[in-house]
Amino acid sequence: MSQTIQPFTGFGLGLRKEHHAEILACAQPLDFVEIISENFMACGGRPLHTLDAVRERHRVAMHGVSLSLGSAHGLDRAYLAELKALAQRIDPLWISDHLCWTGIQGFNSHDLLPLPYTEEALDICAANIARAQDVLERPLLVENPSSYLSFVGNCFSEWQFLAALTERTGCYLLLDVNNIYVSGVNHSFDPRAFIAGIPADRVRQMHLAGHSQGSDGMLIDTHDAPVCPEVWELYTCAVQRFGTCATMIERDDAIPPLSDLLTELDQARTAAAALAA
Amino acid sequence: MTLAQQQLAFAAELRADDALPGEASPGMQIYRNAYRARLLSALEVSYERTRAWVGEEAFAAAACHYVISQPPRDWTLDSYGANFPAVLACLFTGDDEVAELAWLEWYLQQAFAAPDRAELNGAVLAQAGLDDADWEQLRLTMASGFAAREVRRDCTGLWQALRSGVSAGFVLEPADPGMLIVWRQGLTPHFRVLSAGEFAALDCLVRNKPFGAAATIAGEAGAAQLGQWFAQWLNEGLFSGFSLPRAPLARPPGAGC
Repeated sequence: MSQTIQPFTGFGLGLRKEHHAEILACAQPLDFVEIISENFMACGGRPLHTLDAVRERHRVAMHGVSLSLGSAHGLDRAYLAELKALAQRIDPLWISDHLCWTGIQGFNSHDLLPLPYTEEALDICAANIARAQDVLERPLLVENPSSYLSFVGNCFSEWQFLAALTERTGCYLLLDVNNIYVSGVNHSFDPRAFIAGIPADRVRQMHLAGHSQGSDGMLIDTHDAPVCPEVWELYTCAVQRFGTCATMIERDDAIPPLSDLLTELDQARTAAAALAA
Repeated sequence: MTLAQQQLAFAAELRADDALPGEASPGMQIYRNAYRARLLSALEVSYERTRAWVGEEAFAAAACHYVISQPPRDWTLDSYGANFPAVLACLFTGDDEVAELAWLEWYLQQAFAAPDRAELNGAVLAQAGLDDADWEQLRLTMASGFAAREVRRDCTGLWQALRSGVSAGFVLEPADPGMLIVWRQGLTPHFRVLSAGEFAALDCLVRNKPFGAAATIAGEAGAAQLGQWFAQWLNEGLFSGFSLPRAPLARPPGAGC
């Protein structure tokens, strides 16, 4: 897989059904929207009708949660075929999914489960990413998830593991700035070291989101709150290193009015513009 | 331990229903809680009216039983609750309306997002210029999202009462058994309860038997009735296409997938 994904500078939001009517009713200051791929795969009716209408107005990035790039038993061929069919329909900016596994032997947890950062896991992830990219005929963007436990015997840090994957497979990265912060707190690493360890030329998109405080001092990636000051600060650090790549606010619960999210997105625009000036 | 062994062990711990709080690490407890919460939430969203009818506590107990006994297998969470109506039928024996209401909720949502199919209408059939022999052998394919089941209670009345928020005073009157069908016409899901006779005729077509078989069920005296039913089915958008032996499947112009 030798194709490249050209940098795209823009600011977007996740497409959520609470905002469908407003996004279709009039022009919104969005450079792109990001969809959850699985919500539109193997389906028709109003969901697909809405997506087609949104696509007429906006560029669309496809973001998945079920590719299971870290699965030791390989990828689901039927899933990949449906993902490709959707991509052919909407011609997305790119397709992304997470550095995680979601299930094994027919079981699907519907969660982004953590991987050990070992040579074996690196081999398996690289093979799965290469296979997915071959089938989809395009490079993937791989996102760093939040995690709540780590494994004894890790050979790499998360950022070293991601960097190695880009080198082996030619994949790009979707950096979730909130996830860097959450995992940094949960696993006691410096988020700035994470950002410094990522190859700058491989980042094509950044996610911003809110999180919540769990028990035992852990942070949980709940996507149900505004972006916190610490994550905004880290975003500034990320823009300094990676430039103004595509940035979006990711909100999945306690969805506020669209105007609130657009205001929050403006904060990202302002921060990025200030650094570019 | 290989990655495969590690993931199998992790999945088993995630699903285990006998681990007491405090036994798992704080991190594993977060994954365990998130797994259960996500599945319970999916059931609550899919079965909002069933939940309102049986009450919070009874629904939560049934949903917990389902989460433990039916681990998700598909890549889409949207399919997770598919067996819930059958499980409710076992848990609420004697209250047939619970499983029937759940079935109706489930299949209306399935029809809402089912893959698109063209709609067969009378004009397309007329254009096909079918002769008597063609009609005998005609095979019809059903509309997008079509599903059917027998019902013994007024679950459609209950569904409508719950939608209107007036279920508190709803009295389940005895109802004749009938066949409940669900399908999508255009972008809108529909449902209707059919009499045994009407469904027997339609069922021939659902089972991909020739149109002539449905006519046989209706009998000579029922031919006029079958004609009326068929006209209504076409108007309701119950079919997506037709085929004839040794002829390609005909689809209306501009048909989708």
